Amino acid sequence: MNPLVVYVLLLKAVATSFAGMGSLPQIHEDFVETRRVLTDEQLSRAVLVGRSTPGPVGAYVVAVGYFAAGWRGAVAGWLAMITPALAAIPLFTLMQRWLHVARVRAAVDAVVIASAVLLLSSAFQLAVDGFRQLLPR
Amino acid sequence: MNTISHFGSSVARDANRTLGGGWAAIELLRRTFIASGALDEAGHAGLVAVSRLTPGTNLLAYCVALGWRMHGWRGSLTALGAASVPGSVIVFALTAALVRVDQYSLVRFALAIGILAATVLVLSAAWSLLRPYLTASALASTSVIIALSAALLLAGLTPVRILLLSAAAGAMLGRPLRAPQEEP
Repeated sequence: MNPLVVYVLLLKAVATSFAGMGSLPQIHEDFVETRRVLTDEQLSRAVLVGRSTPGPVGAYVVAVGYFAAGWRGAVAGWLAMITPALAAIPLFTLMQRWLHVARVRAAVDAVVIASAVLLLSSAFQLAVDGFRQLLPR
Repeated sequence: MNTISHFGSSVARDANRTLGGGWAAIELLRRTFIASGALDEAGHAGLVAVSRLTPGTNLLAYCVALGWRMHGWRGSLTALGAASVPGSVIVFALTAALVRVDQYSLVRFALAIGILAATVLVLSAAWSLLRPYLTASALASTSVIIALSAALLLAGLTPVRILLLSAAAGAMLGRPLRAPQEEP
């Protein structure tokens, strides 16, 4: 598969998700079902490798890229993973510029509080995952 | 954290030594940069809000915004490379070597311990975000936002919708939940 196509497809999946594994359904649709360049087992292995290594879970797209197009695909996966993060710069700048407005500050405060609630949910799922791994197979 | 190389090595160390996703790593980054005096709790909360609203991986967005805040565009690019390259190289090596990391019971046990340790870090991250809002003056508004986001979570909405609806609710409340000197 052309590495440029790998980059575009992975970028589409990553840029339309808001968490590391949020891109998985789109990747499954594009790489397994539509283009058939990955098998379900390869995608599962990519996710497993991503979850078993330190760093962002979203790095599993590097493994997806490798399965689709070798080392060039892995580089395309890495580029697709890092590109959307650059959107944080204009967002951060905008937030700083408008933070003196009371309603904007209140909205940012609410996002921080909601983030904490989402984190509690993530912690619960992680704990379940951790205890499940401890059980014999 | 005065030099960009010191900043980059700190990001590389903290962003690539936990399992279980980016929030455990963000908690390590928070501890490192607050301990060095380069960041405060309110600044961290602002970076969390930005990372949550940025598409893609939260940890990378957090690192980009942290780098921008401390060293401008050079800091952003340094942080992005430092946070993403080591983990990606390991993923690439494991995939290319066709190593099935889960086939050894000792490895599975180590992974489980790593994930449980990450759980503690994620809980700590949630507490550090909530704590500044648990004041007598803000408790009622904070409770409203917590109840709303928990209800939306239980209703099965995606995280970004939960965050946007919470932001709308916060804007409708109309007044910041922190004291002015603590703004994110």
